[in-house]
Amino acid sequence: MNLVEKILAKKSGRDFVRPGDVVVADVDALLLHDLSGYITARVFEREVKKDVRFPDRVVMVFDHHFSPPNEERARILEENRAFARKYGIHLLDCGSGNIHNAAVRNGFVRPGSIVVGSDSHTPVHGTMGCFACGLGNNSHAATVLPYGKAWFKVPETIKVNLTGKNKFGVFPRDVALWLTGQIGEGGAVYKALHFTGQFIKDLDIWNRWLFPLITIDVGGKCGFIDPDEKTLALARIISKKEFEPVYSDPDCEYETIWDYEISDLEPQVAASPTLGNVKPVSEFAGRSIQWAELGGHGGGRIEDFREAARILKGRKLAPGVKFNAVPSSREVFSQALQEGIVETMFDAGCTWFPPCTGSNQAINMGAMAETESMISTHARNFPGRNGSPKAIMYLGSASTVAASAIKGHVSDPREFLE
Amino acid sequence: MIIIDKVFEVYPDNVSSELIAHTRHVTSVSPEGLAKAAMLDVDPDFHNKLENGKIMVAGNNFGCNSSREWAASALLHSGVKLLIAQSFARIFFRNATNIGLLIFECPNITKMAHPGDELIVDLSTGIITNKSTGKTIQGTVMPQFLLNIMTSGGLLETLKNS
Repeated sequence: MNLVEKILAKKSGRDFVRPGDVVVADVDALLLHDLSGYITARVFEREVKKDVRFPDRVVMVFDHHFSPPNEERARILEENRAFARKYGIHLLDCGSGNIHNAAVRNGFVRPGSIVVGSDSHTPVHGTMGCFACGLGNNSHAATVLPYGKAWFKVPETIKVNLTGKNKFGVFPRDVALWLTGQIGEGGAVYKALHFTGQFIKDLDIWNRWLFPLITIDVGGKCGFIDPDEKTLALARIISKKEFEPVYSDPDCEYETIWDYEISDLEPQVAASPTLGNVKPVSEFAGRSIQWAELGGHGGGRIEDFREAARILKGRKLAPGVKFNAVPSSREVFSQALQEGIVETMFDAGCTWFPPCTGSNQAINMGAMAETESMISTHARNFPGRNGSPKAIMYLGSASTVAASAIKGHVSDPREFLE
Repeated sequence: MIIIDKVFEVYPDNVSSELIAHTRHVTSVSPEGLAKAAMLDVDPDFHNKLENGKIMVAGNNFGCNSSREWAASALLHSGVKLLIAQSFARIFFRNATNIGLLIFECPNITKMAHPGDELIVDLSTGIITNKSTGKTIQGTVMPQFLLNIMTSGGLLETLKNS
């Protein structure tokens, strides 16, 4: 069995599971966010009318609001807070950072566990050696909150084997964007993706993070990376509880194996309307942008700010470009402050925002008019996600974002890195 | 369980949950509010077509991207009796099952079903017969545990009755 099968077997009290089996398993962590926590709460209170069985396993993170922009939003946040207080579940309020980063940094995600959540990017926790996937409000309210359980269909697994070394000026995010295009939207519907190979092994945790993150947008159920010393070292620092890592058997079976060699890759950009529209940066170079942002699910990491600061140091944003710097957690902001990155980027003309999930769906920031375009580290670029369906979102590495902000149009970062 | 009804439309691959019920159109999460938003960005004529039949057909990866449950709810409250797709995005699959929207997976369905065709769909055996053309096709039989949830009106209803 692989890691996901072993976790599902263990948590459902079985010796063995195979793809296609349906199991009812114990859930170790439920991650809710401000956008839908209150909807789960309403279903739970109106229909289920039970107590929360394991409040200690539930955390709600306010990440789409660093501060409510209007009265209606303020009311929704209050409804979320009241729910958290009533049942004693954990609350990370406005300013805590992105839901997934905050959940890891606050110790809710441990190797070997089952993590579910209302956010579709929940599979990112496969980075920590978890079985992690997104569920809907009814699942949370009906079974996870009252019983600490959920049903799962055991997925078939595809081994995604990445080898080679990225060229100068090409970053793990470029590889992840390219891989999304290679697998294709809908290329892995319902599958579990086991990311492995020397390229993955050599990455540190927050760069590995970018790979399980793409699972949902190629249609997958979950993505995972077997834990190693790097995973365990981080888990020991952040975890408040004991944990038992689970590892894939060396002879575990796969539905299929996909091999990718990444040494020849150029920097990549994915332009609206979809993530599958990913091409070498040269294909989009010269397209004008008015906004740049480091933030979103998978963005706003300290690695992103280091990359951008290296390019922005001693330079200025192009006239008319606005640059949102949005840390994914409080720890990232603190680190950026210590490293002088906050000052470097401020001097270049960037604006620092509170830790949150940034312009994701433009709930409290980041809306665009139909004439505007943004380049960012966000996870998605679908029409209408940031205001007008005609506004364009380009996705790229933090270096590509920074280089483009200096030029005022989509640009290859390598000329600034030599 | 056997469903007999007409196909009102065949939709393409990769219809995303964001487009099935876009946030811009969802002014209320009430059944009426969700029904009104259903498929607006994909097919403005959706509700008129639903007058001609209650079976919706789609290609691969239906309901992809965001996790919003209201995409499935919007179709249910619009009066879709059965949704057959070549494949479903998994969160959509799960949400539809849990809210009691009847869904059925059938590879190649878009090749054998056309708007106006009358289908006989046996959810227990997975066999679809197209009465209009006389052809039959084998779909994927859902695990009994999930079929029970879906046909009993969803997860909450199932738990209440158990």
